[in-house]
Amino acid sequence: MFKRMFGLQWKEFNRGKAAGGKLIAKILKWFGIVYFAFMSFMMGLIASKYGGPSMTFPIEEGTTAPFLYLNKQLIYVFAYLIVMRYFIQSLPVLNIRALLLAPVLKTQIVRFSLLKTVFTYFNILPLFFLIPFSFLLAKSGNYDITGLIFWNINIIGIIYVTNFFNFLLNNKDKLLYGVGATLALIKALEFYSVIDFTIYSEQFFYLFYNAPYATCFTWLLVFWLYGYVKKYFLKGLYLDKGLQLKIAEAKIDDFSFLDRFGKTATFIKNDLRLLKRSKRARTAVYMGIGFLFYGLIFASQEDLYSDLAGGSFALGMSFFGYLFSTGGFLFMFGSFVPSWDSQYYPLMMTQKILYKEYLNSKWSLMIIGTVISTILASFIYSFFGTNAVYAVLAGAFYNIGVNGYLTLWAGAYTKSPIDLNSSANAFGDKKAINAKTLLVGFPQMLLPVLVYYFTSQYYDHLTGCLAVAGLGTLGIFLKPVAFNLIMKAYKTEKYSTLKAYKTN
Amino acid sequence: MIKIENLTKKYLKQTVLDIDSIDIPLGQTFGLIGNNGAGKTTLFSCLLDLIKPTKGKVINNDVDVSKSEDWKSFTTAFLDETFLIGYLMPEEYFYFIGELRGLNKKEVDSFLAQFEDFFHGEILGGKKYLRDLSKGNQKKAGVIAALIGEPKVVILDEPFANLDPTTQIRLKSIVKDMSKNKDVTVLVSSHDIQDVTEVCERIVLLEKGRVIKDLVTSPETLKELESYFKGE
Repeated sequence: MFKRMFGLQWKEFNRGKAAGGKLIAKILKWFGIVYFAFMSFMMGLIASKYGGPSMTFPIEEGTTAPFLYLNKQLIYVFAYLIVMRYFIQSLPVLNIRALLLAPVLKTQIVRFSLLKTVFTYFNILPLFFLIPFSFLLAKSGNYDITGLIFWNINIIGIIYVTNFFNFLLNNKDKLLYGVGATLALIKALEFYSVIDFTIYSEQFFYLFYNAPYATCFTWLLVFWLYGYVKKYFLKGLYLDKGLQLKIAEAKIDDFSFLDRFGKTATFIKNDLRLLKRSKRARTAVYMGIGFLFYGLIFASQEDLYSDLAGGSFALGMSFFGYLFSTGGFLFMFGSFVPSWDSQYYPLMMTQKILYKEYLNSKWSLMIIGTVISTILASFIYSFFGTNAVYAVLAGAFYNIGVNGYLTLWAGAYTKSPIDLNSSANAFGDKKAINAKTLLVGFPQMLLPVLVYYFTSQYYDHLTGCLAVAGLGTLGIFLKPVAFNLIMKAYKTEKYSTLKAYKTN
Repeated sequence: MIKIENLTKKYLKQTVLDIDSIDIPLGQTFGLIGNNGAGKTTLFSCLLDLIKPTKGKVINNDVDVSKSEDWKSFTTAFLDETFLIGYLMPEEYFYFIGELRGLNKKEVDSFLAQFEDFFHGEILGGKKYLRDLSKGNQKKAGVIAALIGEPKVVILDEPFANLDPTTQIRLKSIVKDMSKNKDVTVLVSSHDIQDVTEVCERIVLLEKGRVIKDLVTSPETLKELESYFKGE
């Protein structure tokens, strides 16, 4: 039976509407998977050599500092893992209704759907860090090998706890708010240095190294949670329970103050409603907010990167981060134009709509998002000095003047339909934005980073920023030309897009 | 008003549409009937430039639909739920369509007032988004939206299917009213021979993409169609 259900899944994967003609998306996806695996692997190698918060390199002989430091940070690692899973990991989708009346045990349906998630890359990716990290620690001779093995087994156990916990988070709103509030509280307490959670984190995770049998409890928790989630879904396999549509009470949103912007406003009003009412679309906003802080990853580690590969490399990495900080919403929303309208694309194509007005409204919304992001990002990164703010602004110009068009243009070829109304899924998967989305942006980011890197290396930081901002400004002036090209792409792709969006 | 010339659509080697010529004059209420796979929806999709025909063309009021988009200003359609915007409330949807066709809120409101009976209190003033309405109510909203803005050509794909009896009767009388208005060309498709003979002035029977019969509706039409589908 398991095999047969697997067969169904395989067919869905192969024959689904989204399967054909998406080679680029697939390549990008694999590019991303390899990228993250590689980064994890390198982090594992590097982390095993560093000695804690001061990041002294290389560490002294006979110290256990990297291990202790990691244990300190693990609480945050798992907190982020929970958040990332909630927003990015897509839960299994199985055509449950069709199977309900088939001679299949309900437990088998649920078991299959749950166990399928065991091999998602959220669970596999950490191994790329853990294995080299542990291996190098073991090789250094400062650690007890049994302890390390059980410590690893425990970490994997906790990863699976978050895996099954994610199912509950997606289905129980109260739990979601509770966890959200707790995480925010932890972050706040840490930020204002009321409690240092890293001390407890260190003690807790070190326990599994010191007392290997404690690992049993983690795995008992994994199995208990699996059983609980299984039972929970089993109860929900009725048309009026878990499989029922949740209907929200509707309220009219009057955005008539936008009417002064003419035809563009007609579409912006709808897009605002979309962002407000569709969970899937809201995720784009949340991701945009999340990306505001992406630059912190690089900016806060500038010293480390410049030790590793020189000052201009470090600045280049930060520049990369700033680009994403201001462009997060632009990518998250823009990559899915016109897919946001995929469900009613035939309607749009039979109305008296000029592509120019349609694209202009999407573009305007992306630019508004970018401007807001830029204001917030300039504030956040002002703590790293004026040079950081220059870089943020340069990135913003580039995003507005170049990436806005590129994203729209790429959208004409993306053609992956979005089911905005998919709240009826038994597993509570609202098809939040998947990892693929994140990866579309990477290639677009290479050019400005390279321009910045080379100009700043030959001249200085400010010239580098000006060069990138100059490209962006040029792009802003070339808007009519860019729009003409994008419009042509949309027109030639019209019929195949309609076909790709057709779901019935 | 609408001229269909040598229209063919092929998928791989299968021909799904092969029409020599159909000429629909202004003001005619035109019915399309046929079994599944007869090509009704494909034909309508070609008329609306949603599908590119393999050969031939469609001229709508002197506009070649695949060359210019001018036909959009006087043509409206409701084919299926892909003509609805799920996350909007019915009112917001009507206003949106109205805005695209140059009507303000007040004008849309007064237009909708005449359909109060038809909506039966289930569309306007509710607290649901279109995505949460039943299929029948979704269809009501979609069909009425297709009438906003005094279109000259209205295309409806199976408008009577899946409606409750009261709504069916009311919708038929709406279509009949339109057919009295000699400025509106209405194209309707259906699976139900009774429905088309009741509302349409002319009926074209499609089978595997070809025109089998082209009839002016008369008292004998129903019998003729019945005997065809019985296989006599």
